[in-house]
Amino acid sequence: MWNPYRQPSSSQQSAMSAIAFTVVLVFWTILSLVINNPTELPTPWETAAAFVRLCWDGKQSMLLSASLWSIGRIAVAGLMVFLIGVPIGILMGGSPLINSVLSPLVDPFRSAPVAALLPVLVMWLGIGETMKVVFLFLGAVVYLIPMVRDAIKAVPQAYWISAYDLGATPFEAVMKAVVPMAKPRIADAFVAAVSIEWTYITVAEYVNAESGLGQIISNARRISAMDRIFATILVIIALALLTYRLMMIIKCKLYAWEVG
Amino acid sequence: MDSASQAPNQSNTQRPSVGEPVTGAVTGAVTGAVPMLILEDITQDYPGPGGSLNRIVEGVTLAFDRPGINMLLGPSGCGKSTILRMLGGVRPIGLQCPTSGRIWIDGKECHDQHDDAIMVFQQYSNRPDLTVYENVAFPFRLKLWKSKVKPTEVKERVDHMLEAVGLSDKAGLRPAQLSGGQNQRVALARALVLRPRILLMDEPFGALDAQTREDMQLLLAKLHQEQPCLTVFVTHDVTEALLLGDRVIVMSTKPARIADDFYVTIPRPRNAEWLRTPEAQELEKRILTQLHASSGKGQVRVSI
Repeated sequence: MWNPYRQPSSSQQSAMSAIAFTVVLVFWTILSLVINNPTELPTPWETAAAFVRLCWDGKQSMLLSASLWSIGRIAVAGLMVFLIGVPIGILMGGSPLINSVLSPLVDPFRSAPVAALLPVLVMWLGIGETMKVVFLFLGAVVYLIPMVRDAIKAVPQAYWISAYDLGATPFEAVMKAVVPMAKPRIADAFVAAVSIEWTYITVAEYVNAESGLGQIISNARRISAMDRIFATILVIIALALLTYRLMMIIKCKLYAWEVG
Repeated sequence: MDSASQAPNQSNTQRPSVGEPVTGAVTGAVTGAVPMLILEDITQDYPGPGGSLNRIVEGVTLAFDRPGINMLLGPSGCGKSTILRMLGGVRPIGLQCPTSGRIWIDGKECHDQHDDAIMVFQQYSNRPDLTVYENVAFPFRLKLWKSKVKPTEVKERVDHMLEAVGLSDKAGLRPAQLSGGQNQRVALARALVLRPRILLMDEPFGALDAQTREDMQLLLAKLHQEQPCLTVFVTHDVTEALLLGDRVIVMSTKPARIADDFYVTIPRPRNAEWLRTPEAQELEKRILTQLHASSGKGQVRVSI
């Protein structure tokens, strides 16, 4: 009987993942062979060969250098998102007054095309690193702030009342009773924000492409090297997945109490 | 001169008898001293639909002057918890509370949050990320108690309370690893570790099964004997009121008014045997008569 709450075993999950991966690979192979034009759709083995060349071209590893640049930008923007977005979200969740002031400014950006801000940022901040990092920051922070706010609001009021009754000041009640309870959800919001940064990395690195994974894609596009583009896209997906997994492991270790 | 000191103090120092009504303009003032806690003509309105006012509590005047267990008994939703939260200084934001009337603690009018009274709620509100020990010691992380209790005394107090509630061997566990009764013990220990002069309990055992509830009632009676404090205990369980209370205040349905107020001077622990005595049956009948007279829609629980 179908039961939405029944979890498949880990071996079942692995098998299902392998099947899904194989289906995509087979579909890709067939399609690329039918199209038979590597500048439109390279085969999986052409993509693999491009990946190897990017890893080591005989002199250097273009992929490693580009990956480090992209990871660095994501890390700096992530740090900014954490240091600026989390406190603002906590303030909005902890104070209905602050929420009513900031909510109309923050919430609409969740559905706004952040990529459209790129020309504005180029005008304001130039084409250097600052523009790239600020773009990544803006792209992620507009999602993080409402998520942190909602995480704070989702904590049952009983914790706030109990702390307040024990003599906590309103600030203490929020910081020592509500925020600790919201931390796992705040961590989830941060993980989501970093994942969003990965989706924007190529856009950020498209302008003045000098380094980074976006630069590889940008340069490859000019010479119609679709195999390079595909290889780089797969690397971005792998790095995003790796970052996600690492952060989830850290989160589960930090908040082990949540899972018992 | 404030109105607390103007409250009429009767010089009757004799022990009241079972079922003796609590009388006086400010009832309960029987020792001749200024009552520790007074509610003076309390009325509370909440905003209702369409701008109307929903009266929850009307004209409640009560005084508490002895460190006994005072049971505030009434049907569910009659406004007992509203009164208790007023006493604890936990008041709804953006609402004048009480709408009219005054609350006095030791002759001083109480307007807001204060540290004389500590509440125990039906929801334990134990932090799941903290151990049992850390939960009991939680209040000492707050500025207010940090300044009042020396760090060296904290461990001594927490260890003592854990022993008193029988959780010494569970000090390192987290709330998710405890039963409902054990979690409520943690909440009780967290309140009593502050040695409050007034303990307010808002249906604390309401979510527990019958056996655990009985264990908790016995534990409360024992702790109260060891560390007497003025306890106001909200319940809708007639049996619980009779088993635990030194005084039973029966509230009518919304708006809450005092329907009856009497002493139960039988020493604790009181058991099921005592509940079957004519004396206890008479008190139970008296309570139920009062509750039915107020003809409300709320429900009270009577254990057989």
